[in-house]
Amino acid sequence: MKALDAQRIPPAATAAAFFRARRWVGGSFAPYTFILPFFVVFAAFGLYPLLYTFRLSLTYWHGSGSPRFIGLSNYSFLLTDSLFWQSIGNSAFLWLLIVPVQTVFSVLIAVILSAKTLRLRWLFRTAFLTPYVVPLVAVAQIWLIFFDGTDGAVNTILHMAHLPTAGWLTDPTWAKPTMALMVLWKNCGFSILIMLAALQSIPEALYEAAALDGAGAVRLFWRITVPMLRRTISFFVIIATLGVLQMFAEPYVLTQGGPYNSTTTAGYHLLDYINNADFGTGAANSFLLMLLVIAIALLLPWLLRMGEE
Amino acid sequence: MVANVSRVPTKRRTAARLAIGDLARHLALLLVALAFLYPLFWVTISSFKPGDDIATSPLSLDLGNLSLDNYSSLLSAVPMGVGFKNTAIVVIGKGLLTMFFCPLAGFAFAKFHFRGRKVLFTLVLGTMMLPPIVFMIPLLLEMGTLGWVNSYQALILPGSIGAFGIFWMRQQISEVPDDLLDAGRMDGCSPFGLFWRIVLPVLRPALAALAILTFIDVYNDFVWPVVIINSNDMQTLQVMLSAVTTQINNAQIGTTGQSAWGEILAACALATLPLLVLFVILQRHFIQGVLAGSVKG
Repeated sequence: MKALDAQRIPPAATAAAFFRARRWVGGSFAPYTFILPFFVVFAAFGLYPLLYTFRLSLTYWHGSGSPRFIGLSNYSFLLTDSLFWQSIGNSAFLWLLIVPVQTVFSVLIAVILSAKTLRLRWLFRTAFLTPYVVPLVAVAQIWLIFFDGTDGAVNTILHMAHLPTAGWLTDPTWAKPTMALMVLWKNCGFSILIMLAALQSIPEALYEAAALDGAGAVRLFWRITVPMLRRTISFFVIIATLGVLQMFAEPYVLTQGGPYNSTTTAGYHLLDYINNADFGTGAANSFLLMLLVIAIALLLPWLLRMGEE
Repeated sequence: MVANVSRVPTKRRTAARLAIGDLARHLALLLVALAFLYPLFWVTISSFKPGDDIATSPLSLDLGNLSLDNYSSLLSAVPMGVGFKNTAIVVIGKGLLTMFFCPLAGFAFAKFHFRGRKVLFTLVLGTMMLPPIVFMIPLLLEMGTLGWVNSYQALILPGSIGAFGIFWMRQQISEVPDDLLDAGRMDGCSPFGLFWRIVLPVLRPALAALAILTFIDVYNDFVWPVVIINSNDMQTLQVMLSAVTTQINNAQIGTTGQSAWGEILAACALATLPLLVLFVILQRHFIQGVLAGSVKG
């Protein structure tokens, strides 16, 4: 830094100001230049689009000509639009199908995985995590073939067992659970790993003390494991909730939002506006979605903490 | 004596119960592991089977009719190589930006005292709350204005220096001893020299985990590429895969039956293979990365 400064010593007056400013910020401008790239990229591809979304959301614009200012009309339209509410409702329904199941399942598997006498732990851990690395498009393709209405493996097996078959991806009743199953299959390895790490950080002494008092395995689980996992579980519920709200790729590759919009999630609904070149309404929907996500990100930790007392 | 007699059977009974519990645990995990791995095994096997067989007897394991036909007909119809090339360019571009600028910013936040450090760091973390999906529409329009639709810049730059990477690298760099940096300063290192000659080499394990996580993220990224790319020779592997499957899935309805399933599965297997190999070889680093990702809250 010294060498660098020596090269560009400014004229006396400016030099004094330069050194004063440098002392004021803490002795060196270097840390600012180190963090600058992040802020440049964020300004260009984060902040600017954000402000642009807001401005666009107050206009009527279909891609050509200049946007016409229409105030809050897009917002009042959306708040009474059945498709908008359906997309939010679909996401809420999928949340119910995914997040509680994934949480409970991951905790249970992690508890079994951390048993002291378990062999081949690394093998199980790797097996559970493998679907997490497989590209979503490939996973969706497996689902399309397994759950195909006529020739799919699932219906073939059900048929052989003389059980009723279903149009897993073509019947609005079944499309959401089928998609939820795909998400669970792909992502559970990740949540199992999180829970496993949290379990390993619980002091062994707690269990030993409780076991001396004669507590059984079930009691140990409810009295020690669950309370000690509370923070990790809250954290997981929050990121999973935000993930479900933004879910876009899953409906895109599996159902294109169908049948009858039954899998059009809040995130996927945004694609409709792009396809219809209805950018003003789309921007307003984006903005509403962002407010919802931020509200949940701020409220959920508070709600989850309320349960502790 | 009496006590002894009564204790022996109890001990044996406890041991038996433990053994049964152990067995049940292993069985449960084995079943779950099978459920997680079987579909992948199925894809691999089926990608060597004729498409019609996949439809008529999806679960059969007749090894006699396996062939490379699906792969050869897939590769003659679809330029998968182009997809691999584009994905490689984006992975390397985004990877290098992440691997250089995230630790650099993390270094500033971990080891320098400067005015506004707390506020700026909070700002960085705050950007993690913004849902990427809402940027889709304005970013698409921005790229149109810049003339970047169908370009590598559009695939690489947005989201290239992530807040999470900075946060994680800051955690790791905080643990680098100050003595090491002081020694470097005595030797006349500039702040950047400290970063380049001391911090980066010490940080190697964490950088490896960050690299793997970035690789998997970018390789599998799908939402943004699918929106911004509409020319065939700019498609990344995932976009290409999805285009292939949609085309074949739609075309086959009512015409050729499921005879194209073989090609589709071959494409899926090809696109999955590099990641699976990487995952199995580097799984320890990967798990470390996922765990680091999970403590960000």
